[in-house]
Amino acid sequence: MQAILEHHWFSNAVVAALLLGSVALSVFVHRNELWRGAARELGRRRPVALGVLAVYVGIGLADSVAWVDGRMQGEDVVSAHQPRSAVERAFGGRPEKTYSRPFAGAELYGTPPRPLAFPGRHPLGTDILGRDTLLLTLRGVRVALLVGGLTSLIAIPLALLFGVSAGYFGRRVDDVVFFVMSTLASIPGILLLIALVMALGQGTLQVCLALAVTSWVSFCRIARGETMKLRELDYVHAARLMGVSEVGIVWRHVLPNLMHLVVITFVLMFSGQVLVEAVLAWLGIGAAGSWGQMIAQAKDELSREPVVYWNVLAAGAGMFVLLLAINSVGDAIRDILDPRTRRERE
Amino acid sequence: MNLVRRLVRWSIAAYAVLACTNDPYPSTDAPVKVLYRPFDEAPKTLDPAVAYTTTAHDISGLVNATLLEYHYLKRPYVLVPGLARAVPTAELRGAQTVYRFELLSDLIYQDDACFGAHHGGARTRPVTARDVEFELMRIADPEVNSPALEPFAHVVDLLAFRQRLTALRAADPAVAVLPVPEQYARARRIAGVAVTSDTVLELALAEPYPQILYWFTMPFTAPMPWEAVAFYDGQEGRPHLADHPVGAGPYRIVEYDKQSRIVLERNDNWHGARHPEWRAPGTVFPVDVPAEDLGVTVPNTTPGAPLPFIERVELRREKERIPAFNKFLQGYYDASGIVKESFDKVVQNDRLSPEMSERGIALRKSVEPAIYYVGFNMDDRVLGAPGGNRAQRLRQAMSLAIDAEEYLRLFLNGRGVPAQSLLPPGIFGFEPAYRNPYRTPDLPRAKRLLAEAGYPGGIDPATGAPLRLTFDTGDTSAEGRLNYTYYINSWRRLGIDVELQATSYNRFQEKMREGGFQIFNWGWVADYPDPENFMFLLWSKMSRKANNGPNTANYSDPGFDALFLRMKAMESGPKRLSIIREMRRRLEEDCPWIPMFYPEQYSLYHGWLHNVKPFGMSTPQAKYYDLDPALRAERRRVWNRPVLWPAFLALGLLLALVAPGIATFFRERQ
Repeated sequence: MQAILEHHWFSNAVVAALLLGSVALSVFVHRNELWRGAARELGRRRPVALGVLAVYVGIGLADSVAWVDGRMQGEDVVSAHQPRSAVERAFGGRPEKTYSRPFAGAELYGTPPRPLAFPGRHPLGTDILGRDTLLLTLRGVRVALLVGGLTSLIAIPLALLFGVSAGYFGRRVDDVVFFVMSTLASIPGILLLIALVMALGQGTLQVCLALAVTSWVSFCRIARGETMKLRELDYVHAARLMGVSEVGIVWRHVLPNLMHLVVITFVLMFSGQVLVEAVLAWLGIGAAGSWGQMIAQAKDELSREPVVYWNVLAAGAGMFVLLLAINSVGDAIRDILDPRTRRERE
Repeated sequence: MNLVRRLVRWSIAAYAVLACTNDPYPSTDAPVKVLYRPFDEAPKTLDPAVAYTTTAHDISGLVNATLLEYHYLKRPYVLVPGLARAVPTAELRGAQTVYRFELLSDLIYQDDACFGAHHGGARTRPVTARDVEFELMRIADPEVNSPALEPFAHVVDLLAFRQRLTALRAADPAVAVLPVPEQYARARRIAGVAVTSDTVLELALAEPYPQILYWFTMPFTAPMPWEAVAFYDGQEGRPHLADHPVGAGPYRIVEYDKQSRIVLERNDNWHGARHPEWRAPGTVFPVDVPAEDLGVTVPNTTPGAPLPFIERVELRREKERIPAFNKFLQGYYDASGIVKESFDKVVQNDRLSPEMSERGIALRKSVEPAIYYVGFNMDDRVLGAPGGNRAQRLRQAMSLAIDAEEYLRLFLNGRGVPAQSLLPPGIFGFEPAYRNPYRTPDLPRAKRLLAEAGYPGGIDPATGAPLRLTFDTGDTSAEGRLNYTYYINSWRRLGIDVELQATSYNRFQEKMREGGFQIFNWGWVADYPDPENFMFLLWSKMSRKANNGPNTANYSDPGFDALFLRMKAMESGPKRLSIIREMRRRLEEDCPWIPMFYPEQYSLYHGWLHNVKPFGMSTPQAKYYDLDPALRAERRRVWNRPVLWPAFLALGLLLALVAPGIATFFRERQ
């Protein structure tokens, strides 16, 4: 299973599916008046943040499309037999021996410092192994999007399933779900995360699973409360009297009314997970190639003499800009979709 | 008026705060010869039979005097008598090899409450050969769980004593609660340890094992008073023996808070202090080494002077390296290593930077008797012995692809010597001119060997893809990953795709024990300076998978084993050297390890600390050190002058902010 998930054809297929999905989504949004209006309003309010997000998504997708072409990257013979992404092809292939400053012509250390193989070709410098910092930063985009996106895509359906079931059916179902939620909420999150990553093993998918397991509870509570409120509304009673099945009511009347919460939670959860992954990386159990890992690897570099700042700075900037854009968009989405603020505007 | 009084009070308090210094020590200690050292990890135990960490040996090695010691200045290392009158020589008695230790007379332990409990209030008692025998019994005792059991298994009847003791305790639970000496007596004494008088002990070995003498330089074999074992049992407010060692060494512990501060003071009962007229080795600074061979500059008055010079040794816990190093630069620690992050500030062109030299700091470099290596699992069907010649060629190719010098430059600031064999400098058998034909990086040759191994261009014919191997580690840190990426990138240049498998350290150990791995890396620091202590790492009897020994590569070569057994029993000399050369030749061809480097210690010492010669092994040598407290106090004062202007500036700004308010207050009252 792991091998299939890691295969580049799977990754390429996911990119294709995402592109098709986004086309389908845009068609849906275009046809639905409510969503079309919301999208238009969002575009009007946060054009820059949306643009930044589009760039990040573009980089993430470009780094997910990979193929084998039999050409070596530098002296790396194995790279000729392994798929390399579009980002690697565009920005890779310029390995050095060790640290160099941005746009430098020689290595950072050594008396005298040795000249670089590709002088002036590293806009963000290189790390201790001579890897281009710009390439590492760009590759971190995909990991961040994967961690944020995949975790949210696992956690939100899980939270919806349990929250709506508990809220709608109540009684025993509610008792069981509430017990599970209370149990999970009473375990310190970071400890549970470490235990899960240790148990599941290290890898991006495993990190996403562990993050999802520890992050669904809060949205589950919200979904449960909202469902309890919705199930008492007149149109739900009417549907029940008319003989509509319970599943049908949930599908047609409850879930659509939770969609604005889903969208808002997705955005907020996304940025939260990227930050939590950075903490895990600091503890040595994060996803490979993440910005968190870059920062953890570079943490001692700040106390070097002369200081090596570019790795931390690049990873930190990459994360900061993404999270700022996401939070900014999330804030706008909440304003646009929240019925109360919408009524206030109207 | 009240307000004015308050302001005056606050001003006095502010002045008092500003008058404080950053000196962590009381001013009364300034003229005293106190050696200040940091330690990072709290010692788990100071029980000499058990303690095996560097920090623990740093302390217990000063408290417990041993029968033998190393000459402080001579290299290669030379044994000298400690509590013994002479270094014993092997004597053949039938099939047994016997060593006769004669202790100095009139040796006594440090003053301690444990003696009073059994000897009518006495503060101490004489050291006898029975105490050495008692400690050897403790090494054999399964409840003590001593890590030194394996070398003492050569002692006649020692393992049988262990079994008798276990059986006795199992058969009669009442025995297990008896005082330990009583239990040992019931299990019958070890036949191979004969105490013929209060000062003579004879040790009989079932087979020749000259290295046993080195174990008598370590605290494991230091005389142990049975009273201490009986008294320090953790009951009724008494500490455990693990936290309260009792010995006959040059220092004794006067304060032991292992989480923050450990203080040792001169032991007036030490034989060097009570009988300076004996001028016994290890109680006076050596005079038998010519000045040009000292390897350290010592004041003229030092050679022949009685030890110890330092009155007190104070260890303070520093969990982080950088603050500890900064305190060294402030003069609050007398010696330090160099943190990686500050290396380029401290060392330039392989010499001390002008900034450090101006401070009177000295740099001493010494290659440690240790080795770091990458190992292959010789049980693996691709990389190990089952793979035959193909696997051998593959290992050789992988060895040729790794540049140890580059690794040292990137990750250790060049602090190490690229290793050519498993024997480091200072160990008999190390030959500086020797070059391992598979340890000079040569990519074209590595590629040829790889093709001969059946993997042309790294392609595994079974899969049609690059050969895939795994590299196991118990280090999951981000920095650790960088280290391993270096190896992986080096092998990728051959076309071999190595995957890193980083797991928790426990899981890693488990994998090593079960043999479920292909490549690993590890290190070994010498217990004693003998080639046997390195060569045994590849002796088949020490296989980790079969016997849970330190031969993690599970290397097994009957030819090597036979040579090892011959070499092990020999005194160092030309014959032994020729055997070592043959063993080395076998290893270089078989390549179960890629010898990486011998670590090099760069130590910094302040100008006021004298007589320091880096020792390499974890045997504390503080009794040979000397220092100039007046110079230290002066330097500390100059280096730690408080910078007060930011405080005054802040105070000025505060007054500027508060003054209008006060003025308004008075105006409104009027």
